[in-house]
Amino acid sequence: MSLTLVFFYLYAAIALAGAVGLVIARNLVHAVMSLFATLLAVAMLYMLLGSQFLAAMQLFIYGGAVTVLVLFVLMLTKAEPEKAAASRRTVRTVSLVLCGVFFAALTYILGTHTWEVAASHTQDTASLAEILFSRYALPFELAGLALTIALIGAIVLAREDDVAGTAVSLRPPAGRADGERE
Amino acid sequence: MITLNHYLVLAAALFCIGLFGVLTSRSALRVVVCVELILNAVNLNLAAFSAYVAPKEAVGMNFIIFLMVIAAAEVGLALAVILTLNRTSDISAIDRLRKLKG
Repeated sequence: MSLTLVFFYLYAAIALAGAVGLVIARNLVHAVMSLFATLLAVAMLYMLLGSQFLAAMQLFIYGGAVTVLVLFVLMLTKAEPEKAAASRRTVRTVSLVLCGVFFAALTYILGTHTWEVAASHTQDTASLAEILFSRYALPFELAGLALTIALIGAIVLAREDDVAGTAVSLRPPAGRADGERE
Repeated sequence: MITLNHYLVLAAALFCIGLFGVLTSRSALRVVVCVELILNAVNLNLAAFSAYVAPKEAVGMNFIIFLMVIAAAEVGLALAVILTLNRTSDISAIDRLRKLKG
């Protein structure tokens, strides 16, 4: 058993444990922190795949920005404790069976298929950048546009005060505020 | 020696756990976070295929960069929607939201 395989299993175990913790943790802060462990493990797996650039991006974008953003929103919103009702148990069981069957089918298909694997597995950042700025130059610009639009949309949606009467309001008209609460 | 199937099975497991979380959780925030987990599984799949099947051309790595951009935009918008929902109503369980039903 080579050293890289040991590290692969270590990171895979951390990633799976974090994912399971994300799903089963009652406290949402704990859930987000275990997602953080998964994201770090995936970054290390990128490193094992020989792509240092993607590992760094994973750390910056997911490990840094997304986790902090989710934690911020978590602190700003009222948390409602999740009650385990009887109907939820059926949903859980059916979902568990569905996902288990899906995973079994995926592993079965992966086991029967063999891929044509190349000899060397190293990809340097220079070749990545070469393709990104030649063949995918237009999608690259469009991705920047999409980010800008998402930024503006997030500001418009989350704005507190209705300055010019344009902010999105989800508040129902007065008098039927109780009707939506079942 | 790590084979391609190691990565693919791990990504499939992460995907299924994320899918389970999306299907079962009631908190909108946890659904968003589980979608992030699913996107990470997809990214891992792409990276593994890119490194093992076509290492000369880093096409899969480029796809991952675009996926990260779109995922960042998605999580920003989703969190803005959650903030607005939380401010304008006191419902946090997503299966009780019926505002768009008319």
